[in-house]
Amino acid sequence: MSTTAVLPDGMAVIERGWLSSNNIVFDDGGAASVVDTGYMSHAAQTVELVRAALRGKPLTRIVNTHLHSDHVGGNAALQAAFGAQILIPPGLADAVVRWDEEALSYSPMGQTCARFRHDAVIAPGSTLKLGGLAWDVIAAPGHDTHMVALFNADRRILISADALWEDGFGAMLSLLEGDEGFDAERSTLAWMARLAPRLVIPGHGRPFVEVNAALDRAHRRVEALAASPDRNARHIAKVMVKFLLLDLRSLTVPELIDRLTPTRYLMTLQKTFFPDKTGAAVIEQAVTELLAAGAVVKHGDRIENGDL
Amino acid sequence: MSQPISRVAVPAAGVSPVPSPCINVCRMDPQSGLCEGCLRTIDEIVAWSRLSDAGRHAVWAEIARRRER
Repeated sequence: MSTTAVLPDGMAVIERGWLSSNNIVFDDGGAASVVDTGYMSHAAQTVELVRAALRGKPLTRIVNTHLHSDHVGGNAALQAAFGAQILIPPGLADAVVRWDEEALSYSPMGQTCARFRHDAVIAPGSTLKLGGLAWDVIAAPGHDTHMVALFNADRRILISADALWEDGFGAMLSLLEGDEGFDAERSTLAWMARLAPRLVIPGHGRPFVEVNAALDRAHRRVEALAASPDRNARHIAKVMVKFLLLDLRSLTVPELIDRLTPTRYLMTLQKTFFPDKTGAAVIEQAVTELLAAGAVVKHGDRIENGDL
Repeated sequence: MSQPISRVAVPAAGVSPVPSPCINVCRMDPQSGLCEGCLRTIDEIVAWSRLSDAGRHAVWAEIARRRER
């Protein structure tokens, strides 16, 4: 029996993959908006996808739930193509103005992102009109300290960004910024449960309606990771390696080590969770675990993605 | 094509949920008008989230045909 979610009129969910976030295009009547814009290396395709979803309407607003490279990578290209205004959560707005890639998490992840200028902030507690509906802007820290989610109370639709997916949530990267991580995610999930959405549109993966099951899974995952800092740290290391491979497609282990060991996140992971290992050893273990899971494969001395 | 073609198995008939064909390549081939990774058109990618299971299986069948070419 199909559990495919039925989406309301006036919004198009463009389901992407893991390197690019989903893009949600809203019909605002005379104009249109998009929430989250994917990764920089996919920007040309994102522009074409959004253009098709616009059906001739002008894109006047780009809204970002948080500033990770997979959610804002298309901002510059979309703004150049359509002249849209960019609205971001307030927490790192200063870093966007300075384009501080260290504070924005791009350098710490070994990634990059096309620079953009924002035009306004969407603060938690405010309301945003998108697609003819009123969306409450809700703080959703955990994966990212400054992330927001959007909730429409009439239709009970939650745009959950990376706080809640159908199976899991984004890695606890906020821990590497010295922030609360698990307590924040617990509180975000509890808040989302209280909202009792009927439909969740996550930052990655398909929209879903079996919300309680997803919340249960997420809750159990928080507790399992919180109970095992070592497992959580190894997961973050794997996410860093996997994202680099999604972007660059094929790397040797020495290349992975060269790119990731100087990053602030890898150094923080190593110092905090693997003090008896070198950064290189942390990456080697991540590669071993990813190979064992089939998430990556080895061809000669190159590590590549597992689904090609 | 310069990108390797996905070997992701076409889901068997009747499987639900139907997995997304996206393999994170996300680059359009201007000659074919298809994404180099998932072999879908722009319109097919945009329409995916509104398709029924039957519609999604039909897209996968089309992807399989395109792989053969």
